[in-house]
Amino acid sequence: MFCFRTVAVFLLTLLLPVSANADISVRLSIDRTEVTLLDSVRLVVSISGTQSTKSKPVIRGLKEFTVSQGGTSSRLEIINGQVNATAEHTFFIQPQKVGAFEIGPAEVKIKGASLKSNTATLKVTKTPQNQSAARGPLFLQVSISSNEAYLEEQVIYTLKLYRAIKVNDLSLDLPEEEYLAFKQLGKPVEYQSRYGDGTYQVLEIRCALMPSKVGTHTIGPAKMTMTVFQPRQRSGRSLFDDPFFDGPFFGFSRGRPMTLSSEPLELEVRALPEENRPPDFSGLVGTFEMESQIEPSQVMVGESATLTVLVRGRGNVNRIPDLKLPELTESKVYADQPVFEMTPDDKGLAGTKTMKWAIVPEKDGPYQIPSLRISFFDTTNHQYDVATTRSHAISVLPSTGQDAEASIQPQKEIGAEGSTKQAIKQLGRDILPVHTSIKDLTRGTWTRPEGPVFWILMLGPIIVYAAAFCGLRFKKKSAQAKTAIRMKKAAKMFTRQCRQRELSSTGLAEAAKRYLNDRFELYLGAVTPDEAAEILISRGVDRATAHKFQSHMQRLEEDIYAGRGDSPCTIGQDMCDVVKQIEREVR
Amino acid sequence: MRTFGFGVLCSLLGIALFGAGLSLATSEPLEEGFFKANQAYKEGRFQEACKEYEQLIKGGYKNGHLFYNLGNARFRLEELGRAILNYERARLFVPRDADLTFNLGYAREQTKDAVPESRSLVSLVFFWLESFSLNELFWGFAALNVLFWGTVLVRLFLRADWLYYTFMGLLAFWLIAGISFGLKWYQLETDDRAVILSEEVDVLAGPHSQDTVLFKLHAGTVVFQERTEDGWSLISLPEKKRGWLKSEVIETIMNSGHLGSL
Repeated sequence: MFCFRTVAVFLLTLLLPVSANADISVRLSIDRTEVTLLDSVRLVVSISGTQSTKSKPVIRGLKEFTVSQGGTSSRLEIINGQVNATAEHTFFIQPQKVGAFEIGPAEVKIKGASLKSNTATLKVTKTPQNQSAARGPLFLQVSISSNEAYLEEQVIYTLKLYRAIKVNDLSLDLPEEEYLAFKQLGKPVEYQSRYGDGTYQVLEIRCALMPSKVGTHTIGPAKMTMTVFQPRQRSGRSLFDDPFFDGPFFGFSRGRPMTLSSEPLELEVRALPEENRPPDFSGLVGTFEMESQIEPSQVMVGESATLTVLVRGRGNVNRIPDLKLPELTESKVYADQPVFEMTPDDKGLAGTKTMKWAIVPEKDGPYQIPSLRISFFDTTNHQYDVATTRSHAISVLPSTGQDAEASIQPQKEIGAEGSTKQAIKQLGRDILPVHTSIKDLTRGTWTRPEGPVFWILMLGPIIVYAAAFCGLRFKKKSAQAKTAIRMKKAAKMFTRQCRQRELSSTGLAEAAKRYLNDRFELYLGAVTPDEAAEILISRGVDRATAHKFQSHMQRLEEDIYAGRGDSPCTIGQDMCDVVKQIEREVR
Repeated sequence: MRTFGFGVLCSLLGIALFGAGLSLATSEPLEEGFFKANQAYKEGRFQEACKEYEQLIKGGYKNGHLFYNLGNARFRLEELGRAILNYERARLFVPRDADLTFNLGYAREQTKDAVPESRSLVSLVFFWLESFSLNELFWGFAALNVLFWGTVLVRLFLRADWLYYTFMGLLAFWLIAGISFGLKWYQLETDDRAVILSEEVDVLAGPHSQDTVLFKLHAGTVVFQERTEDGWSLISLPEKKRGWLKSEVIETIMNSGHLGSL
């Protein structure tokens, strides 16, 4: 199984160049859109659909730039069974002239076919005046796109770390101002630039800055903490005085922590003009536009058409309001949850909000969906503006018999048994109504588990069981106790009976039998002398004593059978002595 | 003896009639208020409906359906926080009500904060606890308690095989029901969940307005109130997010004013 998979993947990889050629596209990208004359820009031409880097791209619009090769690379990705091959050609370009330049398209020839990429616009500005002074090997520089802004207008705050030495473990603390909100735009960009007479590696971080109060704001210094590795100073000649050891691995000392601070900046924030302010001004500041569409434009009565409105813009996009569709006569409108997406780029915060409504006409005929509008303050023209959608028309056909059936037909699915079923379409969402039945009030209540009922139900059964258990135990114990008392008193009772005057043989024999029964927990109706002896011996009585008792019993038996049973008996005292002896021996 | 039996019967009848009278006397304002509140809701006077439902609840009628209706009225007034608060309270009484489950789910979808659901090991093992109210668990356990001890009692006199197996089966159910009831009670006694009522609130690093804003929360988000201090509440969320906010912007689900001590 493993071999089969390995072979399959290998074959797939071999076949890839062939299959990948089927869908090849070229894309051109630059790492920044605004630079100075001293900065270099990274330009990448990506050819997706091939791994081959043989075809060199020809890039138009680079006349005013110095171009140097940055290398080529290729990669292969297999994601969820889908194979993506990409070849990348990297260039570093440095502008020679100020202005806005359109770079591209890049043209690549693959198997005789010429493929063109997109273009990119690069704005090149002058080198700042204060760059003449030398600033050392490591410094921080901040700038803002404009020193003046309207309330909630976004300003681009750019922070650049210039370094000519090795640094590591960078961390940035942006200034914290009460009425200025910072939002980082994308990932930091790294490139090479010149400053004064030196060449530096620059790390650029861009943030959108949004003021929320009118007045002059001082943007405090940004702080960047890092570990700095300075070139090692060697005092004398040694084994390591070789140019090889001046390289990146040996040329720097151990790092030391350093914190750099930028210069503070000032931003003047102006209030939005009162003049020409629309009454329905939404609070949006920037540039915004709206789009809308209705799908489908022809429906049956009871069917739904979806109106989609998209508000797109750049500025304080998080304030794009949720629009409300005006009341439409003879139709039901169900609003969907708006979807907001923010897409920050190096020019600032941009975003889109998509709002949808399901419109269900209740009557046939033409319907007009009015246009929607959003007023905003346009920061490019410094005036209020309005973005609007166009109005839409829906043609509603009557929902009668076969027509309605025919219109539904395409949406139907044929079931397993040939029956046609239509998927349930969600037209709107809302909460379910209140409970109005009086019966509801008798259910769904609770009482705290406490009080007599609680304790009766919890402890009652246990108490009943415990009482029954104790009763049974007591009953058993009392029976045992009775027997014990009887055992204890057996000898005493016998002695008492023996001392009676004129005790007959029958009476003494009966008393002896009762003694044996009581003393040894027996329930015998009659006892022979031999049985009596056996009982006594088995209970630990000495044989001689047992035989003595046996002989007395025999004598009593003889008297009874000889007809002298009712005559007074003379061996009473002897039997008492024997019983006393038995008691001693049994203990 | 016969006179004694008659006396007991008369007393029981008297108690029953008195109870019924009391029940009629107390149910009248309830029904009237309930009807008025529902009528106000139906006619779109949601503020009035809220007032009526709240009056009934404050009057001592703790009922899941009343909390549900109040939640609906709050939702219509676009008070998402209070709507969710009342739905959560209703869930304590009628946890399996289909309408409530739907509306609470819908209201939760409207909230802005994505808070990951955190479930304790106990709630994972005793997964059924959420589906039963405390009352249901109590009566279930009470019935099993009587059956179990009854079986144990019978076993004192009758030692039969079938009785032994009945005893073992009941013992298992009795233990499960007892632990469930105890856990549910404990959960409710220690329930520190609270709902954010304001549209947006700043959660600060300390109980002072000047403290650093750590993050923001929005209406309807359920947080855990750890403690209160001078009108400030320390709240926590899953993923170790903690901070202080003004006590007035949240309300605990097990608020003693609304639900009694339990």
